[in-house]
Amino acid sequence: MKPDRAIAPYLFLAPALLVFGLAVLVPMLFTVGFSFTEWNGFGPMTFVGLDNYRTAAADPIFRDSFVHILGYIAATLVLEVGIGLGLAGIVSARRHSLWFRVAIFVPVMLPMVVVAILWSFVFNSDFGLVNATLGALGLEGLQRVWLGDTSTALMAVSVVSGWVFAGFYMMIFYAAFRQIPSEVLEAARMDGAGEWALFRRIKVPMIRNAVAIAVLLCVTGGFQGFDLFFVLTNGGPYGATEIPTTYLVKTVFRNGDVGYGSAMAVVLTAIVLGVGMLYATLQRRARTGATS
Amino acid sequence: MSEPHGSSSAARRSSSAARRIPGLLAGISLVVIAAFFFFPMIWMVLSSFKSNTDIFASPFALPTSIDFGRWAEAWEVGQIGQYALNSAIVTAVSVTGILLLGSGAAFALSRYRFRGRTLFMSLFALGLLLPLQSYFIAQSSIFTQLAITDTRLALIIPYTAMGLSLAIYLLKVYLDALPEELFDAARIDGAGDFLVFRALALPLLRPGLATVAIFSALAAWNEFLLALLYIQDDALKTIPTGLLAFSSRYVTDYSLLFSALSIVTIPMIVIYVVFNRQIVEGITAGSVK
Repeated sequence: MKPDRAIAPYLFLAPALLVFGLAVLVPMLFTVGFSFTEWNGFGPMTFVGLDNYRTAAADPIFRDSFVHILGYIAATLVLEVGIGLGLAGIVSARRHSLWFRVAIFVPVMLPMVVVAILWSFVFNSDFGLVNATLGALGLEGLQRVWLGDTSTALMAVSVVSGWVFAGFYMMIFYAAFRQIPSEVLEAARMDGAGEWALFRRIKVPMIRNAVAIAVLLCVTGGFQGFDLFFVLTNGGPYGATEIPTTYLVKTVFRNGDVGYGSAMAVVLTAIVLGVGMLYATLQRRARTGATS
Repeated sequence: MSEPHGSSSAARRSSSAARRIPGLLAGISLVVIAAFFFFPMIWMVLSSFKSNTDIFASPFALPTSIDFGRWAEAWEVGQIGQYALNSAIVTAVSVTGILLLGSGAAFALSRYRFRGRTLFMSLFALGLLLPLQSYFIAQSSIFTQLAITDTRLALIIPYTAMGLSLAIYLLKVYLDALPEELFDAARIDGAGDFLVFRALALPLLRPGLATVAIFSALAAWNEFLLALLYIQDDALKTIPTGLLAFSSRYVTDYSLLFSALSIVTIPMIVIYVVFNRQIVEGITAGSVK
């Protein structure tokens, strides 16, 4: 459409651009700028070149935070994407499953803080559901202070995340399964394929794209995880669940080390954007590969 | 197929009988899985009716009576009404901002060809992937300089900005699908740019706006990190940070905290059950961009 006045498109765009630019783009550039300085947030700012990045590379806490977040991402890939795929498989093979889909999606709605406080009670060592269940089953030996034990805390947080998001991925996969033409499934059933074979050999391969998107969401979202960790463990016990986001928030807002925190933020951003671009490239290659 | 018709339908019948048993198993497993998923929430509500002593003595036992006394107390001392009001104000203003600014920008990017269009489009597209961590450190120092921390604006501005990328992307998809002739016809009838936007594009965008409103509202209602950093004044806290402050003030009064969690959770579940189709669509559309 030809604009009535040449300036019209810019007028429509300006308010959004202004808010987005001032609240996101400018601060992003500033954060990159901060990362080359030593600054406590209000005093004088000193340019230190790449020092903060060198410090980050040598910082064992920062390095460990990536080990933790990768462990968490691996766990959530199974607990969220894997279980979500399985649930979608069961649900899509049945006719009356609306109640189930509605039910399992409920936690996605709730604020993460609410979920986290609730699960801090579920894992409570005195009256929590987990230990009480183990006690009732006569498995007192397995009882733990789940969130306070360095060997179980990270797994415990991952389980909470799985509880929230398995239903979310189930919905994504369920919607994708419904796109499969029913003739394809009918034909396979005629050939005697059972539901399991149907799921594994036909349905899952046919929703490859949805699975790829889910994995991308789970990985990029995982790197940015914060709420659950902050409320449940805040990096503890003894740093066993310290992840990049909790560490950089502490560095900036508790220790007042804005420059160093910004450098870590830039590293984290680069990783998330990198994963996103890697995904886009793979998608493009898969698409051109399929058409040629 | 060379198979006679009869035998093929017999095969189908027998296979459907064979499928009935796993079908029943699947049905039972769904009930078990759902019960397992819901157990923490059921336990939360049941525990809210119990005294602290009972919570410790027998975590699984049912409450002796359904008494909402502690709910009233949690509502009162937890200032949940105040937090909910703050959340509602911040959410309503942010969502309105996202819808207004987002639809305008999507309209410009979709229906006009102008210099800088591709650049603007890639800037907003960048926002789809950009993590909060890439800008919130400088954002917080800018907000401190401008003295808007500890005001509602400190949340409304970033929530609006964060929602724009996705809103513009989705609304543009809707607008792109509309035929160009529609707009040309309006133009020939003498409608100016703004009239075309307001009287033609906006009404046609309504389903898209509803989707955007749903996921933007949930994102604003549930946002935690920025609310934690920018709002220290208890009178301005939203539900996530308010509830966290409350829970650290009454760390060991579990029955009170279970009550507060129930108060916050149950209305959301009710809203969700009523509008589940729209909400599920909104949230999944909002993530699978």
